[in-house]
Amino acid sequence: MTPTILLVEDEPQIRQFLRSSLGAEGYRVVESPNGRRGTLDAGMHKPDLAIVDLGLPDFDGVEVIRRIREWSPMPILVLSARIQERSKIEALDAGADDYVTKPFGVGELLARVRAALRHGARSSSGIELNLGPVRIDLEKRVASLDGAEVHLTPIEFRLLACLARHIGMVVTHRQLLTEVWGPTHAADTHYLRVYMKQLREKLETDPAQPKYLLTETGVGYRLVD
Amino acid sequence: MKWPGYAWALGATAACTLAGLALFPWLELVNIAMVYLLTVVLVALRGGRGPVVAASILSVAAYNFFFVPPRGTFHVDDPQYFVTFAMMLAVGLIVSWLTDTVRARARAQAELAIQAETERIRNALLASVSHDLRTPLAVIAGASSSLAEGGERMSADERRALAQSVFREAQEMSELVAKVLQMTRLESGLVLERDWCSLAEIAASVLRRLKPRLADHLVMLDLPDNLPLARVDGALIEQALANLLENAARHTPPRTLVRLRAYLEGGEIVVSVEDFGPGLPEGDLEHLFEKFRHGQRRGAGLGLAICRAIVHLHGGRIWAERLPGVGTAFRFSLPLETPPAVPAEALAK
Repeated sequence: MTPTILLVEDEPQIRQFLRSSLGAEGYRVVESPNGRRGTLDAGMHKPDLAIVDLGLPDFDGVEVIRRIREWSPMPILVLSARIQERSKIEALDAGADDYVTKPFGVGELLARVRAALRHGARSSSGIELNLGPVRIDLEKRVASLDGAEVHLTPIEFRLLACLARHIGMVVTHRQLLTEVWGPTHAADTHYLRVYMKQLREKLETDPAQPKYLLTETGVGYRLVD
Repeated sequence: MKWPGYAWALGATAACTLAGLALFPWLELVNIAMVYLLTVVLVALRGGRGPVVAASILSVAAYNFFFVPPRGTFHVDDPQYFVTFAMMLAVGLIVSWLTDTVRARARAQAELAIQAETERIRNALLASVSHDLRTPLAVIAGASSSLAEGGERMSADERRALAQSVFREAQEMSELVAKVLQMTRLESGLVLERDWCSLAEIAASVLRRLKPRLADHLVMLDLPDNLPLARVDGALIEQALANLLENAARHTPPRTLVRLRAYLEGGEIVVSVEDFGPGLPEGDLEHLFEKFRHGQRRGAGLGLAICRAIVHLHGGRIWAERLPGVGTAFRFSLPLETPPAVPAEALAK
Protein backbone atom coordinates (compact mmCIF):
# COMPACT_ATOMS: atom_id res chain seq x y z
CA MET A 1 0.00 0.00 0.00
CA THR A 2 1.32 3.47 -0.83
CA PRO A 3 2.07 5.42 2.32
CA THR A 4 0.23 8.75 2.59
CA ILE A 5 2.18 11.80 3.71
CA LEU A 6 0.50 14.93 5.05
CA LEU A 7 2.43 18.06 4.17
CA VAL A 8 1.55 21.14 6.26
CA GLU A 9 3.46 24.00 4.64
CA ASP A 10 2.41 27.51 3.63
CA GLU A 11 5.04 28.25 0.97
CA PRO A 12 3.65 27.08 -2.41
CA GLN A 13 7.15 26.75 -3.95
CA ILE A 14 8.30 24.45 -1.19
CA ARG A 15 5.10 22.40 -1.46
CA GLN A 16 5.71 22.16 -5.21
CA PHE A 17 9.15 20.59 -5.06
CA LEU A 18 8.20 18.36 -2.13
CA ARG A 19 5.13 17.18 -4.04
CA SER A 20 7.35 16.28 -7.04
CA SER A 21 10.06 14.55 -5.09
CA LEU A 22 7.79 12.71 -2.63
CA GLY A 23 5.52 11.74 -5.52
CA ALA A 24 8.51 10.43 -7.50
CA GLU A 25 9.31 8.18 -4.54
CA GLY A 26 5.81 6.73 -4.76
CA TYR A 27 4.22 8.45 -1.78
CA ARG A 28 0.70 9.89 -1.87
CA VAL A 29 0.88 13.52 -0.75
CA VAL A 30 -1.90 15.48 0.96
CA GLU A 31 -1.13 19.21 1.12
CA SER A 32 -2.38 21.68 3.71
CA PRO A 33 -1.47 25.37 3.43
CA ASN A 34 -2.04 26.24 7.11
CA GLY A 35 -2.31 24.85 10.61
CA ARG A 36 -6.10 24.69 10.84
CA ARG A 37 -6.39 22.80 7.54
CA GLY A 38 -3.46 20.57 8.53
CA THR A 39 -5.07 19.54 11.80
CA LEU A 40 -8.32 18.69 9.96
CA ASP A 41 -6.53 16.82 7.14
CA ALA A 42 -4.61 14.76 9.68
CA GLY A 43 -7.94 13.48 11.05
CA MET A 44 -9.58 13.06 7.66
CA HIS A 45 -6.82 11.36 5.66
CA LYS A 46 -5.19 9.40 8.50
CA PRO A 47 -1.72 9.78 6.91
CA ASP A 48 1.20 7.48 7.73
CA LEU A 49 3.45 10.47 8.33
CA ALA A 50 3.06 14.22 8.79
CA ILE A 51 5.61 16.80 7.66
CA VAL A 52 4.91 20.05 9.50
CA ASP A 53 6.48 23.44 8.87
CA LEU A 54 7.01 25.36 12.12
CA GLY A 55 6.35 28.83 10.69
CA LEU A 56 2.69 28.65 9.61
CA PRO A 57 0.53 31.72 8.97
CA ASP A 58 -2.36 30.95 11.32
CA PHE A 59 -0.86 29.15 14.28
CA ASP A 60 2.49 27.74 15.25
CA GLY A 61 3.48 24.36 13.85
CA VAL A 62 4.13 23.21 17.42
CA GLU A 63 0.39 23.62 18.04
CA VAL A 64 -0.39 21.37 15.04
CA ILE A 65 1.94 18.74 16.50
CA ARG A 66 0.22 18.96 19.90
CA ARG A 67 -3.23 18.56 18.36
CA ILE A 68 -2.19 15.56 16.25
CA ARG A 69 -0.49 13.97 19.27
CA GLU A 70 -3.74 14.18 21.24
CA TRP A 71 -5.10 11.29 19.21
CA SER A 72 -2.40 9.80 16.97
CA PRO A 73 1.09 8.30 17.32
CA MET A 74 1.84 8.89 13.60
CA PRO A 75 5.46 9.92 12.99
CA ILE A 76 5.83 13.69 12.63
CA LEU A 77 8.73 15.38 10.86
CA VAL A 78 9.32 19.08 11.44
CA LEU A 79 10.58 21.54 8.82
CA SER A 80 12.21 24.45 10.55
CA ALA A 81 13.71 27.60 9.08
CA ARG A 82 14.86 28.70 12.49
CA ILE A 83 18.48 28.07 13.23
CA GLN A 84 18.01 28.18 16.99
CA GLU A 85 18.05 24.83 18.70
CA ARG A 86 15.32 25.96 21.06
CA SER A 87 12.45 25.84 18.55
CA LYS A 88 13.50 22.36 17.42
CA ILE A 89 13.52 21.18 21.01
CA GLU A 90 10.10 22.71 21.63
CA ALA A 91 8.67 20.86 18.62
CA LEU A 92 10.34 17.58 19.63
CA ASP A 93 9.12 17.88 23.21
CA ALA A 94 5.61 18.56 21.86
CA GLY A 95 5.74 15.16 20.15
CA ALA A 96 7.58 15.57 16.83
CA ASP A 97 9.95 12.70 16.04
CA ASP A 98 12.59 14.42 13.94
CA TYR A 99 13.43 17.64 12.17
CA VAL A 100 14.99 18.94 8.98
CA THR A 101 16.36 22.47 8.92
CA LYS A 102 15.56 24.68 5.94
CA PRO A 103 17.20 24.96 3.50
CA PHE A 104 17.61 21.22 3.01
CA GLY A 105 18.46 18.89 0.16
CA VAL A 106 15.72 16.49 -0.88
CA GLY A 107 18.10 13.58 -0.26
CA GLU A 108 18.29 14.48 3.41
CA LEU A 109 14.53 14.86 3.70
CA LEU A 110 13.78 11.56 1.95
CA ALA A 111 16.21 9.74 4.25
CA ARG A 112 14.37 11.19 7.26
CA VAL A 113 10.99 10.30 5.75
CA ARG A 114 12.07 6.69 5.21
CA ALA A 115 13.46 6.43 8.75
CA ALA A 116 10.28 7.96 10.21
CA LEU A 117 7.99 5.60 8.26
CA ARG A 118 10.05 2.61 9.37
CA HIS A 119 9.84 3.87 12.93
CA GLY A 120 6.07 4.22 12.62
CA ALA A 121 5.76 0.66 11.31
CA ARG A 122 8.14 -0.76 13.90
CA SER A 123 6.80 0.80 17.07
CA SER A 124 3.88 -1.64 16.99
CA SER A 125 6.02 -4.74 16.54
CA GLY A 126 9.77 -4.39 16.99
CA ILE A 127 11.30 -5.71 20.16
CA GLU A 128 14.60 -6.79 18.70
CA LEU A 129 17.21 -4.51 17.19
CA ASN A 130 20.33 -5.24 15.21
CA LEU A 131 22.95 -2.53 15.07
CA GLY A 132 25.87 -4.02 13.16
CA PRO A 133 27.50 -6.37 15.65
CA VAL A 134 25.13 -5.27 18.44
CA ARG A 135 21.86 -7.05 19.17
CA ILE A 136 19.35 -5.70 21.63
CA ASP A 137 16.31 -7.61 22.87
CA LEU A 138 14.04 -5.08 24.52
CA GLU A 139 11.70 -7.69 25.97
CA LYS A 140 14.29 -10.01 27.48
CA ARG A 141 16.36 -6.95 28.40
CA VAL A 142 19.62 -8.32 27.03
CA ALA A 143 22.22 -6.82 24.72
CA SER A 144 25.02 -8.63 22.98
CA LEU A 145 28.08 -7.64 20.97
CA ASP A 146 29.31 -10.17 18.39
CA GLY A 147 27.20 -12.83 20.08
CA ALA A 148 28.67 -12.31 23.54
CA GLU A 149 26.34 -10.84 26.15
CA VAL A 150 27.17 -7.28 27.21
CA HIS A 151 26.38 -6.51 30.79
CA LEU A 152 24.36 -3.31 31.04
CA THR A 153 23.31 -1.72 34.33
CA PRO A 154 19.56 -1.10 34.76
CA ILE A 155 19.95 2.61 33.98
CA GLU A 156 22.12 1.94 30.93
CA PHE A 157 19.49 -0.47 29.68
CA ARG A 158 16.60 1.92 30.28
CA LEU A 159 18.51 4.64 28.40
CA LEU A 160 19.28 2.32 25.50
CA ALA A 161 15.69 1.05 25.43
CA CYS A 162 14.33 4.58 25.33
CA LEU A 163 16.55 5.44 22.36
CA ALA A 164 15.70 2.11 20.72
CA ARG A 165 11.97 2.78 20.92
CA HIS A 166 12.64 5.88 18.80
CA ILE A 167 15.23 4.29 16.57
CA GLY A 168 16.41 6.61 13.82
CA MET A 169 14.65 9.54 15.50
CA VAL A 170 15.93 12.27 17.81
CA VAL A 171 15.12 11.98 21.50
CA THR A 172 15.60 15.20 23.47
CA HIS A 173 17.59 15.48 26.68
CA ARG A 174 14.37 16.21 28.57
CA GLN A 175 12.59 13.15 27.19
CA LEU A 176 15.49 10.85 28.04
CA LEU A 177 16.02 12.28 31.52
CA THR A 178 12.32 12.19 32.35
CA GLU A 179 11.91 8.65 31.13
CA VAL A 180 15.05 7.20 32.67
CA TRP A 181 15.57 9.22 35.87
CA GLY A 182 12.14 10.77 36.39
CA PRO A 183 10.74 14.30 35.97
CA THR A 184 12.72 15.76 38.88
CA HIS A 185 15.91 15.17 36.89
CA ALA A 186 14.66 16.66 33.60
CA ALA A 187 17.49 19.24 33.58
CA ASP A 188 20.38 17.05 34.77
CA THR A 189 22.09 16.71 31.39
CA HIS A 190 25.36 15.68 33.06
CA TYR A 191 23.71 12.31 33.93
CA LEU A 192 23.21 11.73 30.21
CA ARG A 193 26.79 12.63 29.34
CA VAL A 194 28.13 10.12 31.84
CA TYR A 195 25.80 7.26 30.92
CA MET A 196 26.02 7.79 27.15
CA LYS A 197 29.78 7.56 27.49
CA GLN A 198 29.44 4.27 29.37
CA LEU A 199 27.01 2.89 26.77
CA ARG A 200 29.33 3.82 23.92
CA GLU A 201 32.27 2.22 25.64
CA LYS A 202 30.29 -1.01 25.92
CA LEU A 203 28.64 -1.05 22.50
CA GLU A 204 30.67 1.00 20.01
CA THR A 205 33.78 -0.24 18.23
CA ASP A 206 35.24 3.29 18.33
CA PRO A 207 33.53 5.09 21.25
CA ALA A 208 35.27 8.38 20.32
CA GLN A 209 33.57 8.39 16.91
CA PRO A 210 30.35 6.41 17.46
CA LYS A 211 28.38 4.87 14.61
CA TYR A 212 25.12 4.08 16.40
CA LEU A 213 24.74 6.24 19.49
CA LEU A 214 24.88 9.70 17.92
CA THR A 215 24.89 13.11 19.58
CA GLU A 216 22.57 15.85 18.35
CA THR A 217 24.43 18.69 20.03
CA GLY A 218 22.18 21.00 22.02
CA VAL A 219 19.11 18.83 21.30
CA GLY A 220 19.52 15.22 22.38
CA TYR A 221 20.60 11.83 21.07
CA ARG A 222 19.74 9.53 18.20
CA LEU A 223 20.20 5.79 17.89
CA VAL A 224 20.66 4.73 14.28
CA ASP A 225 20.98 1.31 12.70
CA MET B 1 18.48 62.19 37.80
CA LYS B 2 18.59 65.82 38.90
CA TRP B 3 19.08 65.28 42.65
CA PRO B 4 22.90 65.26 42.61
CA GLY B 5 22.66 68.65 40.84
CA TYR B 6 20.50 70.11 43.61
CA ALA B 7 22.72 68.62 46.31
CA TRP B 8 25.65 70.29 44.56
CA ALA B 9 23.82 73.64 44.51
CA LEU B 10 23.05 73.39 48.22
CA GLY B 11 26.57 72.25 49.16
CA ALA B 12 28.27 74.92 47.05
CA THR B 13 26.13 77.70 48.53
CA ALA B 14 26.82 76.45 52.07
CA ALA B 15 30.57 76.28 51.39
CA CYS B 16 30.47 79.76 49.86
CA THR B 17 28.62 81.13 52.89
CA LEU B 18 31.24 79.64 55.25
CA ALA B 19 34.03 81.13 53.10
CA GLY B 20 32.20 84.49 53.03
CA LEU B 21 31.82 84.47 56.84
CA ALA B 22 35.53 83.71 57.22
CA LEU B 23 36.49 86.53 54.82
CA PHE B 24 33.84 88.97 56.07
CA PRO B 25 36.22 91.08 58.21
CA TRP B 26 38.43 91.82 55.17
CA LEU B 27 36.04 92.00 52.24
CA GLU B 28 33.61 94.64 51.00
CA LEU B 29 29.98 93.49 50.82
CA VAL B 30 29.99 93.76 47.04
CA ASN B 31 33.00 91.41 46.79
CA ILE B 32 31.23 88.84 48.94
CA ALA B 33 28.44 89.05 46.37
CA MET B 34 31.14 88.23 43.77
CA VAL B 35 32.06 85.07 45.69
CA TYR B 36 28.39 84.01 45.52
CA LEU B 37 28.33 84.83 41.83
CA LEU B 38 31.37 82.59 41.32
CA THR B 39 29.50 79.80 43.13
CA VAL B 40 26.48 80.18 40.89
CA VAL B 41 28.72 80.07 37.80
CA LEU B 42 30.42 76.90 39.08
CA VAL B 43 27.03 75.23 39.64
CA ALA B 44 25.92 76.39 36.18
CA LEU B 45 29.00 74.76 34.64
CA ARG B 46 27.80 71.37 35.92
CA GLY B 47 24.70 71.97 33.81
CA GLY B 48 20.97 71.80 34.44
CA ARG B 49 18.71 74.81 34.73
CA GLY B 50 16.97 73.73 37.96
CA PRO B 51 20.11 73.49 40.10
CA VAL B 52 21.26 76.91 38.79
CA VAL B 53 17.98 78.56 39.76
CA ALA B 54 18.19 76.82 43.14
CA ALA B 55 21.78 77.97 43.63
CA SER B 56 20.87 81.56 42.69
CA ILE B 57 17.94 81.67 45.11
CA LEU B 58 19.92 80.00 47.91
CA SER B 59 22.86 82.35 47.32
CA VAL B 60 20.66 85.42 47.35
CA ALA B 61 18.88 84.23 50.49
CA ALA B 62 22.15 83.36 52.26
CA TYR B 63 23.79 86.62 51.15
CA ASN B 64 20.81 88.56 52.39
CA PHE B 65 20.56 86.69 55.69
CA PHE B 66 24.24 86.52 56.64
CA PHE B 67 25.74 89.65 55.13
CA VAL B 68 23.28 92.35 54.04
CA PRO B 69 22.41 94.73 56.88
CA PRO B 70 20.36 94.28 58.98
CA ARG B 71 22.27 90.95 59.35
CA GLY B 72 20.42 87.87 60.63
CA THR B 73 17.16 88.82 58.89
CA PHE B 74 15.72 88.48 55.39
CA HIS B 75 14.78 92.15 55.51
CA VAL B 76 16.45 94.34 52.85
CA ASP B 77 17.08 98.07 53.47
CA ASP B 78 18.63 99.09 50.20
CA PRO B 79 16.69 98.32 46.95
CA GLN B 80 20.14 98.20 45.21
CA TYR B 81 20.41 94.59 46.43
CA PHE B 82 17.46 93.53 44.28
CA VAL B 83 19.64 94.38 41.29
CA THR B 84 22.39 92.14 42.76
CA PHE B 85 19.85 89.29 43.04
CA ALA B 86 18.62 89.75 39.51
CA MET B 87 22.18 89.83 38.13
CA MET B 88 23.15 86.69 39.98
CA LEU B 89 20.14 84.81 38.59
CA ALA B 90 20.72 86.12 35.06
CA VAL B 91 24.44 85.24 35.02
CA GLY B 92 23.68 81.77 36.36
CA LEU B 93 21.02 81.12 33.69
CA ILE B 94 23.22 82.39 30.84
CA VAL B 95 26.19 80.25 31.90
CA SER B 96 24.01 77.16 32.30
CA TRP B 97 22.48 77.73 28.86
CA LEU B 98 25.95 78.09 27.29
CA THR B 99 27.16 74.95 29.04
CA ASP B 100 24.15 72.95 27.85
CA THR B 101 24.67 74.14 24.26
CA VAL B 102 28.33 73.15 24.23
CA ARG B 103 27.51 69.78 25.78
CA ALA B 104 24.79 69.05 23.23
CA ARG B 105 27.17 69.89 20.39
CA ALA B 106 29.86 67.55 21.79
CA ARG B 107 27.30 64.76 22.16
CA ALA B 108 26.11 65.25 18.58
CA GLN B 109 29.70 65.03 17.38
CA ALA B 110 30.32 61.79 19.32
CA GLU B 111 27.14 60.32 17.82
CA LEU B 112 28.33 61.27 14.36
CA ALA B 113 31.62 59.47 14.99
CA ILE B 114 29.77 56.32 16.11
CA GLN B 115 27.52 56.56 13.08
CA ALA B 116 30.53 56.82 10.81
CA GLU B 117 32.06 53.70 12.38
CA THR B 118 28.77 51.78 12.09
CA GLU B 119 28.55 52.94 8.49
CA ARG B 120 32.09 51.70 7.79
CA ILE B 121 31.31 48.25 9.21
CA ARG B 122 28.02 48.13 7.35
CA ASN B 123 29.77 48.98 4.09
CA ALA B 124 32.37 46.29 4.70
CA LEU B 125 29.55 43.84 5.42
CA LEU B 126 27.66 44.83 2.28
CA ALA B 127 30.77 44.67 0.12
CA SER B 128 31.73 41.29 1.52
CA VAL B 129 28.26 39.78 1.45
CA SER B 130 27.36 41.06 -1.99
CA HIS B 131 30.67 39.82 -3.37
CA ASP B 132 30.16 36.43 -1.77
CA LEU B 133 26.55 36.21 -2.91
CA ARG B 134 27.04 37.35 -6.47
CA THR B 135 29.15 34.40 -7.59
CA PRO B 136 26.77 31.68 -6.37
CA LEU B 137 23.79 33.68 -7.68
CA ALA B 138 25.39 33.92 -11.11
CA VAL B 139 25.97 30.16 -11.13
CA ILE B 140 22.42 29.44 -9.95
CA ALA B 141 20.81 31.77 -12.49
CA GLY B 142 22.97 30.43 -15.33
CA ALA B 143 22.69 26.74 -14.53
CA SER B 144 18.97 26.73 -13.76
CA SER B 145 18.04 28.79 -16.84
CA SER B 146 20.13 26.44 -19.02
CA LEU B 147 18.16 23.54 -17.58
CA ALA B 148 14.79 25.27 -18.00
CA GLU B 149 15.40 26.46 -21.55
CA GLY B 150 17.50 23.74 -23.14
CA GLY B 151 17.50 20.88 -20.68
CA GLU B 152 15.90 18.39 -23.04
CA ARG B 153 18.78 18.76 -25.53
CA MET B 154 21.39 17.87 -22.91
CA SER B 155 22.64 14.49 -21.82
CA ALA B 156 21.46 13.16 -18.46
CA ASP B 157 24.98 13.68 -17.06
CA GLU B 158 25.07 17.31 -18.14
CA ARG B 159 21.67 17.94 -16.63
CA ARG B 160 22.69 16.32 -13.38
CA ALA B 161 25.93 18.32 -13.23
CA LEU B 162 24.03 21.59 -13.73
CA ALA B 163 21.42 20.70 -11.13
CA GLN B 164 24.13 19.72 -8.68
CA SER B 165 25.94 23.01 -9.15
CA VAL B 166 22.68 24.87 -8.37
CA PHE B 167 22.33 22.83 -5.18
CA ARG B 168 25.96 23.30 -4.15
CA GLU B 169 25.94 27.06 -4.70
CA ALA B 170 22.60 27.45 -2.92
CA GLN B 171 24.04 25.62 0.07
CA GLU B 172 27.08 27.86 0.04
CA MET B 173 24.84 30.92 -0.02
CA SER B 174 22.62 29.71 2.76
CA GLU B 175 25.68 29.07 4.91
CA LEU B 176 26.90 32.58 4.31
CA VAL B 177 23.51 34.03 5.21
CA ALA B 178 23.44 31.86 8.34
CA LYS B 179 26.88 33.21 9.30
CA VAL B 180 25.83 36.83 8.87
CA LEU B 181 22.72 36.19 10.98
CA GLN B 182 24.77 34.37 13.60
CA MET B 183 27.29 37.21 13.81
CA THR B 184 24.43 39.67 14.29
CA ARG B 185 22.90 37.53 17.02
CA LEU B 186 26.24 37.15 18.79
CA GLU B 187 26.87 40.88 18.67
CA SER B 188 23.42 41.82 19.90
CA GLY B 189 24.07 39.94 23.13
CA LEU B 190 22.66 36.48 22.68
CA VAL B 191 21.99 34.55 25.87
CA LEU B 192 24.00 31.35 26.16
CA GLU B 193 22.07 28.13 26.72
CA ARG B 194 24.61 26.59 29.02
CA ASP B 195 24.51 22.94 29.86
CA TRP B 196 27.00 20.36 31.08
CA CYS B 197 28.45 19.17 27.79
CA SER B 198 30.99 16.59 26.76
CA LEU B 199 33.58 18.05 24.42
CA ALA B 200 34.25 14.52 23.19
CA GLU B 201 30.60 14.25 22.04
CA ILE B 202 30.72 17.67 20.43
CA ALA B 203 33.95 16.78 18.62
CA ALA B 204 32.51 13.50 17.34
CA SER B 205 29.34 15.25 16.21
CA VAL B 206 31.18 18.00 14.35
CA LEU B 207 33.48 15.50 12.62
CA ARG B 208 30.47 13.48 11.47
CA ARG B 209 28.71 16.61 10.21
CA LEU B 210 31.78 17.89 8.35
CA LYS B 211 32.79 14.51 6.95
CA PRO B 212 32.15 15.44 3.29
CA ARG B 213 34.07 18.67 3.63
CA LEU B 214 37.01 17.12 5.45
CA ALA B 215 37.12 14.11 3.14
CA ASP B 216 40.28 15.32 1.38
CA HIS B 217 42.16 15.83 4.63
CA LEU B 218 43.54 13.42 7.20
CA VAL B 219 41.72 14.19 10.42
CA MET B 220 42.99 13.01 13.78
CA LEU B 221 40.99 13.20 16.99
CA ASP B 222 43.08 13.41 20.13
CA LEU B 223 41.13 13.92 23.36
CA PRO B 224 42.12 12.65 26.80
CA ASP B 225 39.71 10.06 28.16
CA ASN B 226 39.24 11.92 31.45
CA LEU B 227 38.36 15.31 29.94
CA PRO B 228 35.87 16.89 32.37
CA LEU B 229 32.42 18.08 31.27
CA ALA B 230 32.23 21.79 30.41
CA ARG B 231 29.31 24.08 31.18
CA VAL B 232 28.88 25.59 27.72
CA ASP B 233 26.34 26.28 25.00
CA GLY B 234 26.99 23.04 23.14
CA ALA B 235 25.53 24.16 19.81
CA LEU B 236 27.72 27.29 19.77
CA ILE B 237 30.89 25.46 20.77
CA GLU B 238 30.16 22.94 18.02
CA GLN B 239 29.85 25.81 15.60
CA ALA B 240 33.15 27.36 16.72
CA LEU B 241 34.85 23.99 16.24
CA ALA B 242 33.23 23.55 12.83
CA ASN B 243 34.45 26.97 11.71
CA LEU B 244 38.01 26.22 12.85
CA LEU B 245 38.03 22.84 11.10
CA GLU B 246 36.58 24.30 7.89
CA ASN B 247 39.14 27.05 8.06
CA ALA B 248 41.94 24.49 8.34
CA ALA B 249 40.53 22.46 5.45
CA ARG B 250 40.11 25.56 3.31
CA HIS B 251 43.61 26.92 3.78
CA THR B 252 45.65 23.75 3.46
CA PRO B 253 46.22 21.47 0.47
CA PRO B 254 44.48 18.05 0.27
CA ARG B 255 46.03 15.21 2.28
CA THR B 256 47.18 17.66 4.97
CA LEU B 257 46.97 16.32 8.51
CA VAL B 258 44.48 18.20 10.71
CA ARG B 259 44.45 17.37 14.39
CA LEU B 260 41.62 18.17 16.80
CA ARG B 261 43.00 18.15 20.30
CA ALA B 262 41.91 19.13 23.82
CA TYR B 263 43.90 19.29 27.04
CA LEU B 264 43.87 20.82 30.50
CA GLU B 265 46.27 23.67 31.16
CA GLY B 266 46.40 26.20 33.99
CA GLY B 267 42.84 25.66 35.22
CA GLU B 268 41.36 25.85 31.71
CA ILE B 269 40.28 23.42 29.03
CA VAL B 270 42.14 24.19 25.82
CA VAL B 271 40.70 23.05 22.50
CA SER B 272 43.11 23.14 19.60
CA VAL B 273 42.72 22.67 15.86
CA GLU B 274 46.14 22.13 14.36
CA ASP B 275 47.05 21.74 10.75
CA PHE B 276 50.36 20.73 9.27
CA GLY B 277 49.88 22.86 6.17
CA PRO B 278 52.02 25.65 4.72
CA GLY B 279 51.48 27.93 7.73
CA LEU B 280 50.48 31.58 7.95
CA PRO B 281 52.34 34.42 6.25
CA GLU B 282 54.35 36.89 8.35
CA GLY B 283 52.36 39.37 10.36
CA ASP B 284 50.11 39.91 13.31
CA LEU B 285 47.97 36.88 14.15
CA GLU B 286 45.37 38.73 16.20
CA HIS B 287 43.84 40.44 13.15
CA LEU B 288 42.81 37.03 11.76
CA PHE B 289 39.85 37.13 14.12
CA GLU B 290 38.58 40.50 12.91
CA LYS B 291 35.43 40.72 10.82
CA PHE B 292 35.70 40.66 7.03
CA ARG B 293 39.38 39.93 7.07
CA HIS B 294 39.30 38.08 3.81
CA GLY B 295 41.30 34.97 3.20
CA GLN B 296 42.00 33.77 -0.31
CA ARG B 297 38.63 32.06 -0.60
CA ARG B 298 35.15 33.47 -0.26
CA GLY B 299 33.23 33.00 2.93
CA ALA B 300 36.33 33.27 5.07
CA GLY B 301 35.50 36.74 6.36
CA LEU B 302 33.22 35.77 9.22
CA GLY B 303 34.13 32.28 10.42
CA LEU B 304 36.95 33.25 12.77
CA ALA B 305 35.15 36.39 13.97
CA ILE B 306 32.20 34.17 14.94
CA CYS B 307 34.56 31.81 16.79
CA ARG B 308 36.01 34.71 18.72
CA ALA B 309 32.58 36.06 19.66
CA ILE B 310 31.45 32.59 20.83
CA VAL B 311 34.58 31.98 22.90
CA HIS B 312 34.46 35.44 24.49
CA LEU B 313 30.80 34.94 25.45
CA HIS B 314 31.96 31.83 27.31
CA GLY B 315 34.65 33.77 29.16
CA GLY B 316 37.47 32.09 27.24
CA ARG B 317 40.36 33.21 25.04
CA ILE B 318 41.10 32.42 21.42
CA TRP B 319 44.39 32.75 19.60
CA ALA B 320 46.44 31.49 16.68
CA GLU B 321 49.97 30.12 16.85
CA ARG B 322 52.57 29.24 14.25
CA LEU B 323 53.61 25.68 14.95
CA PRO B 324 57.37 25.12 15.08
CA GLY B 325 58.54 23.92 11.69
CA VAL B 326 55.33 23.92 9.72
CA GLY B 327 51.63 24.48 10.25
CA THR B 328 49.22 26.52 12.31
CA ALA B 329 47.24 26.01 15.49
CA PHE B 330 43.99 27.78 16.33
CA ARG B 331 43.28 27.36 20.01
CA PHE B 332 40.62 28.45 22.43
CA SER B 333 40.25 28.04 26.15
CA LEU B 334 37.17 27.49 28.28
CA PRO B 335 37.00 28.03 32.03
CA LEU B 336 37.20 24.78 33.97
CA GLU B 337 34.34 24.16 36.40
CA THR B 338 33.57 21.14 38.54
CA PRO B 339 30.48 19.34 37.29
CA PRO B 340 27.96 18.16 39.86
CA ALA B 341 28.33 14.53 40.92
CA VAL B 342 26.26 11.82 39.28
CA PRO B 343 24.80 9.58 41.99
CA ALA B 344 26.02 5.99 42.03
CA GLU B 345 23.57 3.72 40.35
CA ALA B 346 22.33 1.91 43.44
CA LEU B 347 21.09 5.27 44.78
CA ALA B 348 19.29 6.32 41.61
CA LYS B 349 15.59 5.66 41.11
